[in-house]
Parts: sequence; C-alpha cells; structure tokens
Amino acid sequence: MTAPNSSQRKACWDARDQLWKCLNDNDDKAASCQNFQSEFEAKCPSQWVKYFIKRRNYLKYKEKMQTEGFTSTEGPQQPS
Amino acid sequence: MFSGEDLEECPLSFRWRWTADSGPLGLLRTRVLVTLLFGGGLLAMWWFVDLEKQQRLRQQHMEQLQKVALGQGNFSLLDHRGQRRTKQDFLGSWLLLYFGFTHCPDICPDELDRLSAVVSTLDQDTSLPPIQPLFITVDPERDDASALARYVQDFHPRLIGLTGALDEVKEVERDYRVYASPGPKDEDGDYIVDHTILIYLISPDGLFLDYYNRMNNQEQITQSIRNHIKAYVRL
Repeated sequence: MTAPNSSQRKACWDARDQLWKCLNDNDDKAASCQNFQSEFEAKCPSQWVKYFIKRRNYLKYKEKMQTEGFTSTEGPQQPS
Repeated sequence: MFSGEDLEECPLSFRWRWTADSGPLGLLRTRVLVTLLFGGGLLAMWWFVDLEKQQRLRQQHMEQLQKVALGQGNFSLLDHRGQRRTKQDFLGSWLLLYFGFTHCPDICPDELDRLSAVVSTLDQDTSLPPIQPLFITVDPERDDASALARYVQDFHPRLIGLTGALDEVKEVERDYRVYASPGPKDEDGDYIVDHTILIYLISPDGLFLDYYNRMNNQEQITQSIRNHIKAYVRL
C-alpha cells in the first residue's frame, strides 16, 4: 500500500478539520455530523482515522486538565 | 633639624633640573606618553593572552563535545534514487536531519515543511554554505527507494530520502538515539510508527551540534543555524 501523496494528505486533513469543527459546534454529538464523519473516513486511511481521533481526545483531555484542573472521579474524597 | 627654608627649596631645585630643556608641560607630555605606551602595551598583551586562552578553551570544548557527540557512526544507506550513500559522502556539508516515515499522518509532513522552509530561507543568504536536508525513514519495511522518491517530491528540491535494510536503519537510529516503535497492524497491514520527532543539525565534521523540537518556530531554527555557522571552528 502506497502512502498518501500531498494532495491526498491535504484532502484528508481538510475532511478531518471539518468534522472537528462540526463536533465542536454540536457538543460532540456524532449524530449531527454523520456526513462529515463518512467523508473523513473516506478521505483518510483507517490508521490515520484512529490516530486523529485519539489525538483529538488527548488534546481535549489536556485542555480540560489545564483549564479545570484535575478532579478525582472515584475513590475517597478525603485522605483516610 | 631642617628649617622651613630647606623644605621649600628642595622640590624647586628638583623640578628645575628635570625640566631644564623642555619646560613643565613637556615633562607632563612625556610622562603621559610613556604611561600610555606602557599601559597600552600591557593591555594589548593581556588582550592577546586572553584571546589565545578563549580559543584554547573553545578548542577543548569542541574536542570534549566530539567525544560524547551523537552520530559518531558512519552510516551507509540507499538514497531515494537507489544509490548507496555513506556519511562520509556528506562530510564538509551542514546537514539538517529528520527521521520519519511516509505513512506518517501529520507530524512528519509538518516537520518536513518547516525544515524545507528553513533551508529555503538560508538558501537566500549567499554568504552561507548550502544546507543539505536529509530524511531518514524509521519504516524501511514499507519505505523503499521508490516510496521515498515519491515522498521527497513534496518538499525541498534538495531533500534526500534515505532507507536501507532493517539493521542498517536500526544502527543509524541508535547512533542518533532515535526512538522508533511500529504500532500494531490493522487488517490492511497498515500501521503507525511512534518515533522521536527532532530535527538534528550536523556540522561539516559530521557531528551533532544542536536539535530543534516542535516548540522552536521557523525563525528560531533559522537564526540558530545562522549562529552555529558563524561560530563554527573547524576541528
């Protein structure tokens, strides 16, 4: 399998950016961005799709950590 | 005991003897001249000794760096035209080295774009020697010479892609302390390689001089390379 060339890369990145924009505008409701999602999957190799989704989640998590700080979701709230 | 008169007369007669032919102003001039010559000589000597010392320290520093430098090995790889290239072939040139792979989703093309832009900017300064950009694949399994030939087209026209047998590539990675680890393969046999994303600056002696990461912007890298070239002392 040959690697995407520069125009294929650009098409994939554009599809990704449009999907991210849609998800950001719609509170991450996947149902509202079905078309963008399928476009993204059509334009990008499946490994890239997985990678970009992981990367977006990581960046969102990082931003949350930086703006809201760490909040423990489980375990005792008070040190025992 | 001295009388008041003796004390008064002594300095006067002293001055008279010494300034008999040139007058008091001439004496001052001579003294200033002698002092300046002597002081200037001392200053020049100190300056010269200091310069020598600095040069010696720089030399020592370079020799110490040479002992611990990355990239002391002598790689032998295939370029994107299928010709064998060794590190020896690149001695005498400034190199910008980047490790990556052609199936790389976003970071490699980003970095190679940045690297190409830096080289193009430095190309415009005719007082600087041309920088040779190199791209070494960390994925020799898929990146053969023809895959690299397709890939390098998208970047700086002088960019050379390098690949080789698995152990040849591994050896270069070890030499530059590059981490590279292929991820799991999916049903199409596709995979992503996690790897070090640094740009290395190599001096004409073939030694590692500096590196740039994602935090350094294009202008910072360009300026840093300029400074390195200007400060460079051939070993």
